[in-house]
Amino acid sequence: MAQNISPEQSGGAGGSSKHNDDLLPVKDNHAVSKRLHKELMNLMMANEKGISAFPDGENIFKWVGTIAGPINTVYASQTYRLSLDFPNSYPYAAPVVKFLTPCFHPNVDLQGAICLDILKDKWSALYDVRTILLSIQSLLGEPNNESPLNAQAAMMWNDQKEYKKYLDAFYEKHKDT
Amino acid sequence: MKVTIKSWTGVASWKWIANDENCGICRMSFESTCPECALPGDDCPLVWGVCSHCFHMHCIVKWLNLQPMNKQCPMCRQSWKFNIH
Amino acid sequence: MCDYRALWSDVVLIFPILDGKYPVKNVDEKAYENVYRHLSYVGNIDRLTAIIELETESIARNILAPKFWKHFCLTSGESSSPQHKSLSDSYAIGALKDTNALFSHFVEAIEELYNGFQCLQEMKSRLMQLSKNPLLSAKLKSIQTTLHIAMLAQLPPTFNSIVSDFYCLHFRLFTKDSYQASTTIDSEVFTDLPCVGCNCDVEQCCCVKLSEMVKSSNFKLFELGLIDRLAGSALTALIKLKIKEHITDTCLGIFDRSHLKQLESWINDTVMTWLTSIFTAPKSKKDILPEKIPDSVQAFKVKLTYFMYETFAQNVISQFFSIIIDYPDSTLAIDDLRICMEKIDMRVYLTESLRSSLEARILHPGVNTMDILTGYVAAIKAIRHLDSTGVILEIVTAPIKDYLRKRNDTVRRVVTALTEEGPTDLSEELAKGEFVKEGKEAGLDEFSNWENWEPDPFGIDPNILHINSSKIIRSADIISMVVDIYGSKELFMVEYRNLMADRLLSQLDFNSEKEIRNLELLKIRFGESLLHSCEVMLKDVTDSKRINTHIHGDGNCNESPLFDISALIISAQFWPSFNKESLQLPEEMENEFKKFTSAYESYKGNRTLNWRTVTGRVQIIIEIGERVMEMTVPPTQAVIIYHFQKKNVWTLEELSTLTKVPQSALRRRISFWQNHGLISETEPGVYSLLEKESEKTQFEDMNITDADEEDLESAMASASDQREEELQVFWSYIVGMLTNLDSMPIDRIHQMLKLFASHSGGVEFTQDELKHFLQRKVREHKLLFSGGVYQLAK
Repeated sequence: MAQNISPEQSGGAGGSSKHNDDLLPVKDNHAVSKRLHKELMNLMMANEKGISAFPDGENIFKWVGTIAGPINTVYASQTYRLSLDFPNSYPYAAPVVKFLTPCFHPNVDLQGAICLDILKDKWSALYDVRTILLSIQSLLGEPNNESPLNAQAAMMWNDQKEYKKYLDAFYEKHKDT
Repeated sequence: MKVTIKSWTGVASWKWIANDENCGICRMSFESTCPECALPGDDCPLVWGVCSHCFHMHCIVKWLNLQPMNKQCPMCRQSWKFNIH
Repeated sequence: MCDYRALWSDVVLIFPILDGKYPVKNVDEKAYENVYRHLSYVGNIDRLTAIIELETESIARNILAPKFWKHFCLTSGESSSPQHKSLSDSYAIGALKDTNALFSHFVEAIEELYNGFQCLQEMKSRLMQLSKNPLLSAKLKSIQTTLHIAMLAQLPPTFNSIVSDFYCLHFRLFTKDSYQASTTIDSEVFTDLPCVGCNCDVEQCCCVKLSEMVKSSNFKLFELGLIDRLAGSALTALIKLKIKEHITDTCLGIFDRSHLKQLESWINDTVMTWLTSIFTAPKSKKDILPEKIPDSVQAFKVKLTYFMYETFAQNVISQFFSIIIDYPDSTLAIDDLRICMEKIDMRVYLTESLRSSLEARILHPGVNTMDILTGYVAAIKAIRHLDSTGVILEIVTAPIKDYLRKRNDTVRRVVTALTEEGPTDLSEELAKGEFVKEGKEAGLDEFSNWENWEPDPFGIDPNILHINSSKIIRSADIISMVVDIYGSKELFMVEYRNLMADRLLSQLDFNSEKEIRNLELLKIRFGESLLHSCEVMLKDVTDSKRINTHIHGDGNCNESPLFDISALIISAQFWPSFNKESLQLPEEMENEFKKFTSAYESYKGNRTLNWRTVTGRVQIIIEIGERVMEMTVPPTQAVIIYHFQKKNVWTLEELSTLTKVPQSALRRRISFWQNHGLISETEPGVYSLLEKESEKTQFEDMNITDADEEDLESAMASASDQREEELQVFWSYIVGMLTNLDSMPIDRIHQMLKLFASHSGGVEFTQDELKHFLQRKVREHKLLFSGGVYQLAK
């Protein structure tokens, strides 16, 4: 079953949309890390409820994010981990953002890849980690069922009660992750 | 008593006249530099679009150059035109 | 048929010891003949031999040895005067009595022992004569051995002090000549002093007599074969003492020349010659061949040379603090010590001794920071000279660094020392521009310079070496070592920037040439990126100068100005943050600044100015009564006195509302004018202008540098003010990382903070500090700690 795929395994799969970083000169690296440091600082100081992120290790280009499921939605009281990979061309190009925690959602595939316009063609240099995480948070409660990555979830979405039930079973299955 | 001030040496900080503190693209303060520059002010100026949004010149130019077709303000997505004072 | 009685009396005559006596009288041949005849007839020669041997042992054990040792056990009250001495001997000894009582005992004891020994020796030879058996001598125990056994079996514990007293005098007599030769006391004074040999008045000097006594006693001991056993340890102790004294006399406090050669030749020429004379004297007085040094003396020499090095090294080490302070004048002393340390392992002793003397001398509140710093720099230089590996340096200077780190003015002092001439020579070091680039050159070293590799010095706890990341420190230059006090260049640079800001803001003379030169030197050493802010600050100064010139030349601004304004226009992002003081200017003044601002705005499009009114220098002329005063004061003082033009009496409250200066600060500023006798506090909180020349009339052309200390305080927010804020920032980061990464051990948290939270201002947070901080948060139930990892409390 597809649901059995662990987040670790799914992590490497969605790399198809890698940005073409080679086009940009290497010296940008410093500028990008400068901006990421700044973002980190703002994020830390703002200490916003429900979203958080921090570099995963020594590399400031790889972060782990945490969002709380939005209240008054079927995702409430759940916590989701995401990975954020920043290209050397950031913020002129969007980071690659994926769910690490399995997430049953119309716009999230079973490998954790997210379909969200601001991460693709609607990207703007003005977006940052904070706005990305907030957008994903609100996407949870307001999916775009027109172009689903998870057709089953899109179909079930209309019956919220049933959806919630399925979701609880889904969590039970993935409890240990 | 009469007090006459002959001369005054004061201290002031300079500031861009802009409607924001930071450049939205690089997140640095306007009074600081874009990530590429070392010296602020004359060497790393601000530019305004007709949409009234402003950025470090180097930042917005880079953004526009990376837009394949329609060059838009990253803030309001209006098509970008420099507002020359 | 045989008269046993007569025979016995003959036997006793020959061997008086059989009767318990030992003074020997001459015996005629007849007695021998008689005894021999009878005994050989009876065939009892062997038995007699056995009896004599027994008696000899008994005499040695029961009479000679106790008698001899008794001399060494005398309590002071019992000290009997020598009885059978010639007059002159008695005189010489009498003269010595006070200082050398023990000496006389020794001489006497040896004399007695020697007599007894000779008597026993005589018994033996008579026995030989009697037995007429040449093989007998081989059968008999030697008298020497017998005596040895008896003596050593009864050795009292205190004998050494007497023996050493004896040899002490011996040594003094021996070195008298060389001592006199080396002393430069002029002869007149010299005659008033007692003789260095015998301690008598010079006219009554009995050195010659004493020498003879000493020599003959020594000879007797030698003959008895007792010299090694009896005098050996006393001699060693004595010579060690003499070496110590000699080193103290000749080397103490003298660091500008090498002592080792002198000491070595002293050991050879004086000590060894003396020893040789003791151990070889009796052979024959005529032919002491210098090359014929006995083995025992040779073995002595090795021991004593070692001891000499050890003592000398300890002596140098105990003075090492002074040597550090004297460096480089003390280079030769350090060279000496280095030679000693090649022979003897004294590193642990050195590091411990030096650490404790540093602590006692400079690491306490009574020493100002600049002096500690000077000591630190001198210690670096001196210890480097001693040990190029840098290991000793690391160990010894660790407490200095720890201590300096705790003083809050350290970085300021370092910066001052770097940029101004001073006792530390740091500015010279900086100007030299020599330094070892970390990384690149260190890497080269490893491979291309392997032939010069040296192991870490031995004798040092390897754990100490492992704690410190020693590589960098060892190759670092002095400036890096000094900057290293804080463990980070970044923090040092932040302080440098703060200080530079202070200087620029207090001088306000738009003259930054010296600063630029220093900055260039620092950039070479520490890299441009750390000094980027400083560079912008200095550029602000030069830019401001140009802008001022431009604005002053601009017609708009020149229309009847109330006063000239020059401005230091700063790029606030690159300057340290200001403190929150404020000052409201009177309207007419403010208008002048507005004019300047609009001139600036039209010169630099889209930019404007925010004035920091409290900071600056105002040149004012005060005309009051007959007097005219011209002075330069800070803006707040200028504004205060300006207000007194319109109104002679102000309450603190009124003035505070008007100037927007808090009352407490305002009171301090007003005191400046009180000190000048222009304003007085007529009743609490009410200030009046003193228009008439009152008691306080010593008005002088006061300069701002003479103004209150208060007025010179930094315009910048102080470092300690910023600390709590920093901690709060750190906490936000810790919450952030634990939210996303669940649980982490302390070293990882520390590393993450270093990487991500300290990029902006060289913020430093040691792991120890962090641990305290985290533990605090655990106590506050903000964190959980278990299994070596921290996580957020739910």
